[in-house]
Amino acid sequence: MASIDYPLERPDIEDTGWHFAENLYRWIATVDHKKLGLMYIVSALIFLCVAGVMAVVIRLQLAFPNGHVVDPDTYDRLFTMHGTTMVFLVGMPIVAGLSNYLVPLMIGARDMAFPRLNSFGFWIFLFGGLLLYYSYIGGSGLSGAGSAPDVGWFAYAPLTTKSFSRGHSVDYWALGVLVSGFGSIASAINVIATTISLRCPGMTLSKMPMFVWVMLVDAWLILIALPPLSAGQIMLLLDRYLGANFFNTQHGGSAVLWQHIFWIFGHPEVYILIFPAFAILSELVPIFSRKPLFGRPAMVGAVVAIGFISLGVWAHHMFAVGMTSWSNTFFAASSMLVGIPTGIKIFNWTATMYGGRIRLLTPMLFCCAFLLQFLVAGLTGIMLAVAPFDWQLHDSYFVVAHFHFTLAGGLVTALFGGFYYWYPKVAGRMYNETLAKWHFWLFIIGFNLTFIPLHFAGTLGMPRRIYTYAPGRGWEIWNQLASLGALMQAAAVTLFAWNVIYSAIKGEPAGDDPWDAWTLEWGTTSPPPEYNFEKLPVVRSSRPLWDLKHPNDPDWKYE
Amino acid sequence: MSIETHHGEAGEHTEATHIQLPAPTFWPMIFAFGITLLFAGLVTFWAVGVVGAIIAFRSAVGWWDNVIPHEEHEELPIDPAHRPAPILVEDRSVVRVQVGEQGHRMRIPIEVHPYSAGIVGGLIGGAAMAILACLYGLVTQHSIWYPVNLLAGVVVPGLGEASLQQLRQFNGLAFVAALIGHGILSALVGIVYAAIMPMFPKYAPLWAGILVPLFWSGLVATSLSILNPALNDRISWPWFVVCQLAFGLVGGYVIARSTNIQTMQSLPLAQRAALHFPTDDTKSER
Repeated sequence: MASIDYPLERPDIEDTGWHFAENLYRWIATVDHKKLGLMYIVSALIFLCVAGVMAVVIRLQLAFPNGHVVDPDTYDRLFTMHGTTMVFLVGMPIVAGLSNYLVPLMIGARDMAFPRLNSFGFWIFLFGGLLLYYSYIGGSGLSGAGSAPDVGWFAYAPLTTKSFSRGHSVDYWALGVLVSGFGSIASAINVIATTISLRCPGMTLSKMPMFVWVMLVDAWLILIALPPLSAGQIMLLLDRYLGANFFNTQHGGSAVLWQHIFWIFGHPEVYILIFPAFAILSELVPIFSRKPLFGRPAMVGAVVAIGFISLGVWAHHMFAVGMTSWSNTFFAASSMLVGIPTGIKIFNWTATMYGGRIRLLTPMLFCCAFLLQFLVAGLTGIMLAVAPFDWQLHDSYFVVAHFHFTLAGGLVTALFGGFYYWYPKVAGRMYNETLAKWHFWLFIIGFNLTFIPLHFAGTLGMPRRIYTYAPGRGWEIWNQLASLGALMQAAAVTLFAWNVIYSAIKGEPAGDDPWDAWTLEWGTTSPPPEYNFEKLPVVRSSRPLWDLKHPNDPDWKYE
Repeated sequence: MSIETHHGEAGEHTEATHIQLPAPTFWPMIFAFGITLLFAGLVTFWAVGVVGAIIAFRSAVGWWDNVIPHEEHEELPIDPAHRPAPILVEDRSVVRVQVGEQGHRMRIPIEVHPYSAGIVGGLIGGAAMAILACLYGLVTQHSIWYPVNLLAGVVVPGLGEASLQQLRQFNGLAFVAALIGHGILSALVGIVYAAIMPMFPKYAPLWAGILVPLFWSGLVATSLSILNPALNDRISWPWFVVCQLAFGLVGGYVIARSTNIQTMQSLPLAQRAALHFPTDDTKSER
């Protein structure tokens, strides 16, 4: 049992004054997984705000027919940089940040397996992102006017060839994403090594927290899926600098080859991004339902199955290319197959809530919203997996609505829940629940107001990526509703940022375990010391803190 | 040091005053910066790339020195004033659901009839059904072969167009086909009965003996015109339903008399997949 002779009256928040130079050095030179995790997450949130502003400008441009808020070239750059930023500079570092901060704490380790590689991973991601954004100054060369990439986040060939994209904007896209990708690969290697080799005594794989399981599979997916993209980007650079002509159709290259390479990365990437949401829900739903996770082994099996299946579905993004019927059939079937393990997860989270004593605090509210919104995303995903349906709606706003329901309605929604849940651990103070609830309702209403109408706009034939549109096609009302929703989301995120900053200064002291939780990170101080635990813990079940709190009724008797 | 001094419960304190951790270093950051400049040289100016390569090389050496021959560490002091609060023991315990026990309604069968009982019950029920069918043939067509030939019309070519006289006569091929088809189908339906009878909520004999045969008759009535048009044209539905009821009552009775066997449905998935074996302690706790 834990020692009980510690002083109960103790300062929760250290107040030793601010020594700028010393603190700056400790942050820049740090190899501590928690600091690096926070740096990943803060950087990602800054990029999220930048990409969010871009989204608002896009929505303002499309709010009315014949809009001229920005010029067409700027618009092309906006949707390209919005997508690229959200995927590579928000989603990926969030994965790395959450893994970094939480995995060692949850498995009872002092740090990641390779702390210096961890530091390198963060900085190369950040410098890669800055290199990408430097394109706004140097895209056409230092003496030119400058331009950011404008070829979409997937940079389809042959649009990326020198003939169609002069200047350096495409090079910045390839190099920025390539360089930041090194960070993701470094982080994935670290997570795998840490999880496999640094688990505390007693923590067998069957007792490992579900969060860690999901992030482990996620790291494997990154390790398998990202190198093909890096290879493709190097091939693209060889095309552009040395005339290799891999993707140049005018010289015998294949534009479809780029699509295959890109989507071999691109579809697993969707799961790479959504897995942290799965990880978060698998921790939050049990805690706020006061029940263990329903069907834990099935949940592990489902996440591993999703990982495998997701590697074989990429060409459902390419039904409109003109593949053979056999290819279409295979990729349609495999895409539908992924719905089975995903369904298992949805059912198991719901079954965890069933009969539980549910506490509808903000983190749990976000989990409930995730379940509904992700279900919609899954159902429209199944619709798009049907090749003839996809032929009708490919490259329409229906697809835009579908993947925003997946990534914003799924990932971002779950992330907000996770942020609120772990905020007391990170900051040592509680967030403001009232502000958080305002954030929740504004965001959820705004999100649905934005993306439900876009399904209708897409079904009515509105193509994605168009700069503007003529009146009288029935698209106006849907676009106006969507733009109104975007403004609500912007207001919600502003409230969130204010809550994070305000609560860090004025919030109530949180204590070590404000949620009465069961995993190891809640067994140390808030915020945790650099060494995490004085003694590395020994665990006997998947809910080690439950065992300590209920010595007469521990889980290990039943696992 | 031994495991006793290094390890403990979550939040437990140690007698040590310092803990060793990897020392901070800025070389990985500088290395990342150098690599980025190296690539940035491609889109800016070649000299930027050269500077990046030099920075990357120097920082790689610095990083190398940091870990070879010995990894640099720093000793972090433990602050006794910032130790985790004690983990409070709760008196409350929870009621653990024991699957299959009284009070927890199971929707999955804990026990089922053996498949062998299903096969035997199906074959005996099939025999009862055949006897009634032959009785029907004898009464209405003065031939026990009439229903046999009709049934064989599903697979034997030409029987669909056979005259009434031909249907009354013995046909060896039709007999063998009907016997095999009826036997296999009866055994399979018997296995299904054995599997599903424990799942019926209440009054299993009523379901198995009457309601399921009626449902089955309804299903056959909607599909027989496709499966066997000859039989569909000549079938007597009242007799058909009686035959089905005979199968259900006799087969269901035989299956119901068998001794139930335990399934693994109530065990956790990990145990069913042979990934986890409960210890004697946990078994006795249960």
